Amino acid sequence: MHGRLKVKTTEEQKAEKHREQQKKLVAYRMGMKKIALSRSSDSYDPESFAISAQLLCVNPDIYTLWNYRKEVALLQRNSQNDSESEEFINFLNREVDLTEQCLLSNPKSYGSWYHRYWILMIHPQPNWEKEFNLCTKYITYDDRNFHCWDYRRLLVNKIGITLPVELKFSTDRLNNNFSNYSSWHYRSTLRKLDENCIEEELNLVQSAVFTDPADSSAWFYLRWVLSHPILSIQKRQELLEAFEELQELEPDCKWILLAKCWLTGSLVLSDKEYIDRRIQFYSELTKLDKLRKGQYEDYLKLAEKKMKT
Amino acid sequence: MAKLMKDIEVPSDAPKEILFEKHVQFINEYGKDEDNFEYGMTDYLRLSGMYWGLTALELINAQPSQCKDNIIDYVKKCQDTNSGGISACTGHDPHILHTLCGIQILAMYDRVDAIDVEGVVKYVKSLQQPDGSFSGDKWGEIDLRFSFCSVMTLSLLNRLDAIDLEKAIEYVEKCKNFDEGFGSRPQSESHAGLIFCGVGFLSLVNRLDIINRDSLAWWLCERQLPSGGLCGRPEKLPDVCYSWWVLSSLAMLGRLHWVDGDSLKTFILACQDAEIGGFTDRPGNVPDPFHTIFGLAALSLLGEKHIQQVNPTYCMPQSVIERLGLKPQILT
Repeated sequence: MHGRLKVKTTEEQKAEKHREQQKKLVAYRMGMKKIALSRSSDSYDPESFAISAQLLCVNPDIYTLWNYRKEVALLQRNSQNDSESEEFINFLNREVDLTEQCLLSNPKSYGSWYHRYWILMIHPQPNWEKEFNLCTKYITYDDRNFHCWDYRRLLVNKIGITLPVELKFSTDRLNNNFSNYSSWHYRSTLRKLDENCIEEELNLVQSAVFTDPADSSAWFYLRWVLSHPILSIQKRQELLEAFEELQELEPDCKWILLAKCWLTGSLVLSDKEYIDRRIQFYSELTKLDKLRKGQYEDYLKLAEKKMKT
Repeated sequence: MAKLMKDIEVPSDAPKEILFEKHVQFINEYGKDEDNFEYGMTDYLRLSGMYWGLTALELINAQPSQCKDNIIDYVKKCQDTNSGGISACTGHDPHILHTLCGIQILAMYDRVDAIDVEGVVKYVKSLQQPDGSFSGDKWGEIDLRFSFCSVMTLSLLNRLDAIDLEKAIEYVEKCKNFDEGFGSRPQSESHAGLIFCGVGFLSLVNRLDIINRDSLAWWLCERQLPSGGLCGRPEKLPDVCYSWWVLSSLAMLGRLHWVDGDSLKTFILACQDAEIGGFTDRPGNVPDPFHTIFGLAALSLLGEKHIQQVNPTYCMPQSVIERLGLKPQILT
C-alpha cells in the first residue's frame, strides 16, 4: 500500500463502497475456485483462463495465476502437432498483449515482467526487436523504473546489441537529464574504467556536477571514477582547484566539500598538507550536513589520528 | 538551476509517541474478519502478512488474538507435500518468499518440528541454479531476494550444507555494483531493499568482507532526507519500509550511527495511524501490516526501550535468534 492517501468518507459512501467491495471479493473467490478446479484436471478451460486474465488485470501480483497461465501455455504447446502453428503463435501473442495491459496499469509488477519474458522464451518467432523498441519507449516515460532497465539488459544480450550503441544510448539519456541515477548506473555497467576512457568519463560527470551541483546522482558516479587508481595525481590536483572555484559560487553545497574530501583522501600520501585541509573539510561538513554528522566524525577521528603519526 | 529535493514535510500534529495499544488492535483486527475486503483480496500474500503481523506483536510483547496452535496448523496446511515448498495460503502455489515466512513464524514459536523439514530443504535445494543463483519457484524467475530467502530458510533450519554455498556467494558478489550496493540481478541498479538482501545474505554466510563497507554505508546514509525519513534510491521519496532496509544494513555494517536517529524516529512515529493504529509508508496514508513491522523493527534498532531487540539480519526478535544459537555476522 505504497502512496495511498487516506481519505475521509461519509457513512453513506462507506456503505456503498462496502457493498461494491463485497461483490468484488465474492467474484475473486469464485474465480479462484473455478481456476483451481480446472487446474486440478490438467485441462484447458477457456472460461477459467479468461477469468484469470480479468483478475490479473485488476491485480497482477496474484502470482499463482501467472503460473496457471504458464501451465496452459505448455498444454497448448504439447497439444499442437506443429510447434510453430499459427494457433499457438496467436495464443502466445495474446499473452504478450495481456502482460502489456498489466504493465501499463502497474509498471512495477514483477509477475507481469517475468511472464512476458517467459512467454517470449517459448515463442517460436519472438520479436525481440519490437520488445527492444517498446522498452526504449517506456524508459523515456519513466527513466527510473528498474524493471524496465533490467528488461533492456536481457534484450541487449538476446539481440546482440553492441556496446558502442548502448554507450551512445546512455550518453543521450544523460545529456537529456543529468539528474538520473538509473542512467549513471547503467553507464557504470557498460564502462570498465581504464586509461582509454577514464578522462572521458571524468569530463562527462564533471560537467554534470558543475551544471547542477545540488543534484546528488552524478556525485556517486564521480566518487566511483575518483576511486580508480589510474587517475593521475596531476588530474586530481586540477580537480581540487576546480572544486575550490565552484565552491565559491555554491558555498552551501555539501557535495563539493565531499568531493574535496575524496580528493584530498587520495592525495594524502603525497603531501601532509592535505590532512589539515581534510580535517577542515570534515569539520565544515559536520555543520553543513548534520544528518550525517556521525559519518564525518568517524572520518575526522581517522584524519586526526593520521596527523599524530 | 538548483531544484527542490524530493521529500515530504512531517505534519506538526502527527503522532510523537508509539501507539502500542493501537498497533496491537490494528494487527489483531486485521485477520479477524475473513470477509474484510483488504484481507480477503490479499490471500496471495497471506503467510508473509502473518509473519509481518506476528513478528510485530512479538516485538511489542503482545499476544496474537488467534491461538498459536491454529497459526502453526495454518503454516502446516500451506506446505506442498509434493515439492516441499510453502505457499501463501491454500489454493496458491509454493514460493520461496512464503517458504521463508512460514519457517520464520515456526522458528519464532519454536515449532519447526510441525512441518516436513526435509521437504523444505529439498525445495530450497531444487531452486538453486548452476550459476549459484536461486529462482523464486519452479518457473525460473531469478532474483537476489530469492538467494537471501533461500539461505535464511536453510540457516533457520541449520541446513546450510544442503546447497552449493560457494556458488551462491559467487552469484551474490556478481550482483554488487559500482556504488557497492546490490540490485536484483548482476548489473541491476542498487536499491535499498536489495542491499538489505545482499548484506543480509553475506551476514548469514559470514562473508561481509566482500563489501567495501564504508562506500556502501555512505550510499546508505545519503538515503536520509531532511524530513528524517529514508528513501530507497537517490532522488526518491522517503518511506517507512526503507527505514528498515537501510537501517538494518547499516547495523550489519556497524555504521548505524551514520544516520540521524532522532529525526528518523520523528519521521517513523509520524507514519502511525492515530485512529486505527498501524504504520503507513508516509504520514497521512493508509496503514498496513508490512509498514507496521518495518516501522517497529526500525524503532527497535534505534534503541527504543519498550520494543524487543530485533536482529538486523533476520528481522526477528534477538531472543529467538539466540535461542536458536544463530550468530549472523555483524560488524562493529
